[in-house]
Amino acid sequence: MTFAEYAWLIPIFPLIAFVVIGFLGNRLFKKWEGGAPIAIGMAAISLILSLLVAIEALTGDGTPFIQSMDWLIVAGENFDFNFRIGIYIDTLAALMLIVVSIISTLVVIYSLGYMHEEGEKKRRYYAIISLFIGVMLGLVLASNFLQMFIFWELVGLCSYLLIGFWNTRPSAASAAKKAFLVTRIGDIMFMGGLFIFFVGFQGNLDFDYIFNNVEAFVGGNELLTLGTFLIFGGAIGKSAQFPLHDWLPDAMEGPTTVSALIHAATMVKAGVYLVARSYPIMVHTETTLMIVACIGGFTALFAATMALNNTNIKRVLAYSTVSQLGYMFLALGAGGYIYTQTLEPNIGYTAGMFHLMNHAFFKALLFLSAGAVIHAVHTEDMRLMGGLSKKLKITSAVMLIGCISIAGIPPFSGFWSKDLILEAVYEGIEISPIFGVLYAMGLITAFLTAFYMFRLWFLTFTGEPRDSYAYDHAHEAPKSMWMPLAILAIFAFGSGFALLFGFESLIVPEGVFALPAKTALVVVEDMFTNPLTYASIVAALLGIGLAYLAYYKKTIDPAVFTATPARKAMSNVLDARYGFTRAYDWIGLTVVYGIAKVVSAIDRLIIDGFIDGVSSFLIKSGNFLRRGQTGYVQSYAAVVVAGVSLIAILLLLIGVVI
Amino acid sequence: MIPLEYFIGLSAILFVIGVIGVLVKRNAIVVLMSIELMLNAANINFVAFSAFTANLNGAVFALISIAIAAAEVAVGLAIVMNLYKTRDTISLDQINLLRW
Repeated sequence: MTFAEYAWLIPIFPLIAFVVIGFLGNRLFKKWEGGAPIAIGMAAISLILSLLVAIEALTGDGTPFIQSMDWLIVAGENFDFNFRIGIYIDTLAALMLIVVSIISTLVVIYSLGYMHEEGEKKRRYYAIISLFIGVMLGLVLASNFLQMFIFWELVGLCSYLLIGFWNTRPSAASAAKKAFLVTRIGDIMFMGGLFIFFVGFQGNLDFDYIFNNVEAFVGGNELLTLGTFLIFGGAIGKSAQFPLHDWLPDAMEGPTTVSALIHAATMVKAGVYLVARSYPIMVHTETTLMIVACIGGFTALFAATMALNNTNIKRVLAYSTVSQLGYMFLALGAGGYIYTQTLEPNIGYTAGMFHLMNHAFFKALLFLSAGAVIHAVHTEDMRLMGGLSKKLKITSAVMLIGCISIAGIPPFSGFWSKDLILEAVYEGIEISPIFGVLYAMGLITAFLTAFYMFRLWFLTFTGEPRDSYAYDHAHEAPKSMWMPLAILAIFAFGSGFALLFGFESLIVPEGVFALPAKTALVVVEDMFTNPLTYASIVAALLGIGLAYLAYYKKTIDPAVFTATPARKAMSNVLDARYGFTRAYDWIGLTVVYGIAKVVSAIDRLIIDGFIDGVSSFLIKSGNFLRRGQTGYVQSYAAVVVAGVSLIAILLLLIGVVI
Repeated sequence: MIPLEYFIGLSAILFVIGVIGVLVKRNAIVVLMSIELMLNAANINFVAFSAFTANLNGAVFALISIAIAAAEVAVGLAIVMNLYKTRDTISLDQINLLRW
């Protein structure tokens, strides 16, 4: 281990960029694009370091590299514990390092063109985005749950700041607040899980200790199940899973680069990473894994339906992110549950992480291309686009690659991972019929995904321009924008081939089970002799075909989808996001605010009332007693005389001899 | 020789006259004079006991007490003078600024 010893520097560089850009004044960077070169340079340095560390970890013998130092030492008589701060690099962390650092570097470079017109606010943008990258890398490298939680919260803070970047817009401000508060519900659950682990593992939260000593948990399996479920609760909030998914579409109020970063590399991927990281504990709690699988499968389908009729180019992508994250949880949960039942290695975990990697690349590509489109036409409404492929040749080409990839057409990357996920879920049908339902959900989602992604592409880039002003002023993105797009397109096309080069045996849950290495030929043979593969390809092709007929050939009029009252009603429900926005508002305004009002009334009337009563009694009695202060010297003297006389009489009565 | 009880009775009568004067008189100067009466009642006691027990301590104490009384009257009269200058009155029932 040589490079890994310097892995702690990886998050430091972007943090240096944050400090330098954030605190060294506007004047210094006015001519420098608000400090962009520093942000890019530091991101690039940590990219190089990340790659070196990751390659070293991936080619090593698979034992995790752990380095930590004492941070908080508490020595009690009966209970002493010790929080450490350090780094933990296994193949999973290495994979995340690669994904996060590549995508964030490309996004920062892309920002050079996209954020060019923001003026003085650029400095704030580059400072926060550097912080965002730094803390996400820190989260990936964390060596214990507490350290991870600290970075977890910082990631939430950065996303709040960036979603609300255009803070003068009320919609952006409220979207930022919503993102922060909704993910906070998950964060509280995560914290609850940490408390349980802290008690159960007697004050030791190190990954290294916990993963190797799960049986040392004090408190029984029920408590452990609750603990892992709460940990997953954190992931629900962060990764926008049902029912805490509704903040992610609103988060589209931020700049598109931020959306790309949140959706592809940071923030929402942190939730998946957390579940994958906790896998060695999760496999001891089958109930939690079942919940993970069900929530994942349901969210995949549920979010995909909302993308069907949305007309905002970014929101469609946001729903597709929620849906694809659902796939990842489905794979993780299903694979883990099947393992708990059969105790045989399966592909679920690998499929989930594989999809995380592929999704990161094609979703970053899709978002950044959408950003290029928005940059060109200055609107996010697809109804005002159309025919843009003539003007935006590069953008339309790379976005097509992204769409094919997410739809799952071989040999593009999305195909490999989506197919593995469906295969992993299908394996579970023998164990429980629930997996049959989940598999069907996954397959329908594949169809819907292909449909709405190609609907998006056809609506944006083909047909007649529907808004001539926007069309006439459209222009191809500058070089700083299309270069990252081109690089991402290569990844989005090719990252799936990692499966042919031993991804399957490399990314396995550490210390739980191992998968045998397969040669590329065997992988391909397994995949294409399996009838399931053709089922998912057919589903994707059907989706693309339907979109083609409806939005390109126009042989099916899209108005058909809303022709009858029932279909119209369905479409309205989708537009209203199944009422979740209103439900959140209702919960916030009626339930939470109502409880707050009751609590406030108790505080004001009972607690404050008691204190006020005591003070007003004292004030009133004081007012009464001060009447004795007449100001007449003689009345005071009379009191003195009376008092002395009284004492003298008393002394005489009790017979004291003076 | 006059018995001790007579002295004590005289002193008690003087003291009570002084107390009543302090409590009921409105004129500040009369009040000061009443205070002198009370002091003299005490002095009579001192001297009487001194003679009765053939001990000079009491007589000496009475002398000191007279000296202090003189000083006290000087201060008291100065206060009454200033009171008259600022408030145009020395009537105690009109001087009640320090009250609730």
